[in-house]
Amino acid sequence: MMSEKRLTLFELNNLVREVIECEMPNEYWVEAELSECRENHGHCFMSLIQKEEKSATPIAKADARCWASKWMLIRPYFERTTGQKLRAGIKVLLKVYAQFHEAYGFSWIVTDIDPTYTLGDMARKRQEIIRQLKEEGVFDLQKSLELPLFCQRIAVISSETAAGYGDFCNQLSDNPYGFQFTTWLFPATMQGEEVEKSIIDALNHINEIYEDFDCVVIIRGGGATSDMSGFDTLSLAENVANFPLPIITGIGHDRDESILDMVSHTRVKTPTAAATLLIDHLKAVLDTIEGAQSLITHYAQQKLSSLKSQLSIIQEILPKLFSAIKFRQEAHIESLNNRMLSAIQQRIMSQMAIISNTESRIPMLLERRITSERHRLEMLEEKEKALDPTLLLKRGYSITFFKGKVVKDPLVLHKGDEIETRIEKGTIKSIIK
Amino acid sequence: MKEIKYEAALAELQTIVRKMENDELDIDQMSEQLKRAQELIKLCKDKLTKTDEEIKKILAEK
Repeated sequence: MMSEKRLTLFELNNLVREVIECEMPNEYWVEAELSECRENHGHCFMSLIQKEEKSATPIAKADARCWASKWMLIRPYFERTTGQKLRAGIKVLLKVYAQFHEAYGFSWIVTDIDPTYTLGDMARKRQEIIRQLKEEGVFDLQKSLELPLFCQRIAVISSETAAGYGDFCNQLSDNPYGFQFTTWLFPATMQGEEVEKSIIDALNHINEIYEDFDCVVIIRGGGATSDMSGFDTLSLAENVANFPLPIITGIGHDRDESILDMVSHTRVKTPTAAATLLIDHLKAVLDTIEGAQSLITHYAQQKLSSLKSQLSIIQEILPKLFSAIKFRQEAHIESLNNRMLSAIQQRIMSQMAIISNTESRIPMLLERRITSERHRLEMLEEKEKALDPTLLLKRGYSITFFKGKVVKDPLVLHKGDEIETRIEKGTIKSIIK
Repeated sequence: MKEIKYEAALAELQTIVRKMENDELDIDQMSEQLKRAQELIKLCKDKLTKTDEEIKKILAEK
């Protein structure tokens, strides 16, 4: 071992450098994930990593550098195209060549970055998040909420100092209809690494008192960077989707919707548009109310006028109706009267008949009575004639009286009694011996 | 005659007529009942006339 030639580290590294420069003179397009990315003196220093598909265990790592001369061109193009900065966690397609420096070691030197690859990867990630949200059944949850009719108590999630927040508040308070809105700011960081956590914290805060609000507005002022990656996370999307109040987003950006926009109740472009939406919503409610009001007035008037005309018809026929009633009643009374008079007439007639019948029988009855009395009298006369004592005297019979009484028994007479004896031609007085 | 309702007056009138028709009244009562009947007839007719006038008057006021 000692017999072998010894090299200095520089000599050895130089050897490596020569081999690499000789054997790998070409440039390569490489796909990798950034695990670190920082700028120093205009140069960009990156750490690249490749993780195992499932376990996320690193299976390759390497440093990469982009010198300032390239970086000043690559960076704006990348950011303009993808809407975000190069930062840890994103996947990139880099054009590199190998460099081994005796003092600084191995590094890939970046000469170009293809932003479309990153865009595609971002899109894939977004699709993955969307798929997961749909699988959880929460993707459309916000869409099933309805803005309350009187949506006037607004919880605002925004950066406190953002111009957009001021625009939003001014737009609301200066509405032309005089609507009153109450806004309550829940400050949050709206750009950079903190976005996700900051918005979730604000949402949690609102959730504790959500009954005090009608909706939540998440706004971000114009002029902020176009880095939207913070709004595309699963955790934020889940929080928004499951939120009990409708959430309106106005986080202003030009490219495709963020996932936050997709799961929110309504998405508008700017804070001002969010305010306009709330005003328009309330105006539509007002219009509905006014429409109903005029309909009610209209129907009430219609009903009233139809009732009025019914009444005037009734008013017209009423006297006629009563005339008919009066006529019938009078006829009825008249007929009762006639019946009564005729009943009386009949009664009188029948009584008269009884009387005259009775009357006519009286003379006959009297005559009969007189005749029979006369006959009786004649009979009595005959009888009396037969009993007349003068006839007996003529025939020689006599009647003896004592003290005016007829003597029929000699024993009533005593010696010395004076008796009278009537005969036909006179009276004989005698004394008993 | 104290205030009597039309229907009551008519009913009484009908009763009198029925009694007369059925010979339920004594002859002595008849003139008295006839007089009562004529009073009732007048009352009914007056009420009808009065009501008619009142209706016309009320409607004319509107």
